[in-house]
Amino acid sequence: MSEEETGIIHFKNVTKKFGSLVALGDVSFDIKKGEFLFITGPSGAGKTTILKLILGEVVPDSGEVIIDGAKVANLNSKDLPKYRQKIGTIFQDFKVLPERTIAENVAVALAVIGLPQVEWNSRVEHVLKLAGLNRATNLFPSQLSGGELQRVSLARALSVNPKILLADEPTGNLDWETSDKLMELFEKINKEGKTIVMATHNLEIVKKYKKRIINIIGGKLTK
Amino acid sequence: MNIHLKTAWDYIRRSPFQALAASFVLTLTFFVMTLVSVLVYSSSKLITYFETRPQVIAFLKSDATDTNIADLQHKLAADIHIKDIKYVSKEEALSIYKKATSDNPLLGQLVSPSIFPASLEFSVTDLSFAQSIIDNVKGESVVDSVGFTAALGGETSLNDVVTRLKTITTYVRIGGIVFVGLLAITSLVVLLVITSMRVVGRREEVEILNLIGATKGFIRSPIIIEAFFYTLFGVILGWAISFIAVLYLAPTAVSYFGEIPILPRDALGIFELFGVVFAIEIFVGAVLALSGSLIAISRVKKAR
Repeated sequence: MSEEETGIIHFKNVTKKFGSLVALGDVSFDIKKGEFLFITGPSGAGKTTILKLILGEVVPDSGEVIIDGAKVANLNSKDLPKYRQKIGTIFQDFKVLPERTIAENVAVALAVIGLPQVEWNSRVEHVLKLAGLNRATNLFPSQLSGGELQRVSLARALSVNPKILLADEPTGNLDWETSDKLMELFEKINKEGKTIVMATHNLEIVKKYKKRIINIIGGKLTK
Repeated sequence: MNIHLKTAWDYIRRSPFQALAASFVLTLTFFVMTLVSVLVYSSSKLITYFETRPQVIAFLKSDATDTNIADLQHKLAADIHIKDIKYVSKEEALSIYKKATSDNPLLGQLVSPSIFPASLEFSVTDLSFAQSIIDNVKGESVVDSVGFTAALGGETSLNDVVTRLKTITTYVRIGGIVFVGLLAITSLVVLLVITSMRVVGRREEVEILNLIGATKGFIRSPIIIEAFFYTLFGVILGWAISFIAVLYLAPTAVSYFGEIPILPRDALGIFELFGVVFAIEIFVGAVLALSGSLIAISRVKKAR
């Protein structure tokens, strides 16, 4: 079986510009199923743009982004939500719903994928326990710390049992100890077979968890 | 509770004054709409009453035989524009006269049945046929003369009354429709404003839901449900207040109009009338809620 066949994410000569700014210039790489990959580089290098391209939040100006056999740019407004439901995303700024409790934040994701309501409680309980938030289920986001909010974002992403997990600077707002705990959780999830793409500029984390690295500077791949 | 219902209910709870503003405007709209509907119904009944009450009296010649009268009666009965034919004999005519002059018994004692002609009274189904029917009846050999009901003063005045009623009813209908239309537009604008505020306030939530794969329907549902809450509240409250007001005023109105059935006389008929109005208002409310919320949502910039 070729690398092309086992891969789940393919970037082929992808260029993305925002106005005159070239965020990504002719970038190509593949990510295999079940792989844990770090995307490193300084701020503004294009790491988040790669994640946005995978999520279909933006489309490339040229080249192709193929995820699990689907050309993301060709997905129409009906197919795009279904596609996104297969991807779990942990956002740098958490993106939790401020007026909903932690449990409700996770339950919303389950409602989005259309899981029957009777199954929500057990699934929410399971992922919140996994993320170490089982005592915070009825709290609101404003009552939690940055690290806890990051774990809420992770719990929501995991709740839908995604094929691919995208993490955008998940340790950016966390101290070393909390970051390390979160990374251990990512390792555990990766061992269950999930593909993880993590954008980070935390080199200590990258060094400790020896995974494949894509380094990007000024929109160009350097390794 | 369904997640969309819960979300919609949470929005309402978090901004009660917006919710009150929308609900009260819609209540006013449906209150007026119910009253206008009842007014239209009553005015239609009023016109129908005047158009179909016994209007034509064919006074028969004194030598008309029973066979002649029966023949004419059958002929009139065969005409689809004529209904409620009634034969009034000389004796019955005297009795009617005596009853009409009961406050002055002397008048009744001075007359005998022989001076009153027998007559055939009937109604026309539509006043526009009256003139041709009268002309035909006048040509009958047993008919001496033809006239309209004396109570309304004759053919010209009856026509005047009905024409005036029709004019008033038309004004009531047009005025009512215009007023209800203006209120409906105001309600729609209020719904649009409140829903737009809601959509703008939810921008971050919409973005998050988009990114985790929510469909357009999923994102729109709570906003549409919220608009439905407001209209449902407005319909029920507006309709109920009008219903109570009409029930309260009905005895006075009914006694004022006497035998004219401006409102159904039985409870079932009243419920039937208000049931139909309620069903129509629910439909109008649904259209308002759906159009208001969808227009507001469509105004928000679309993201991929």
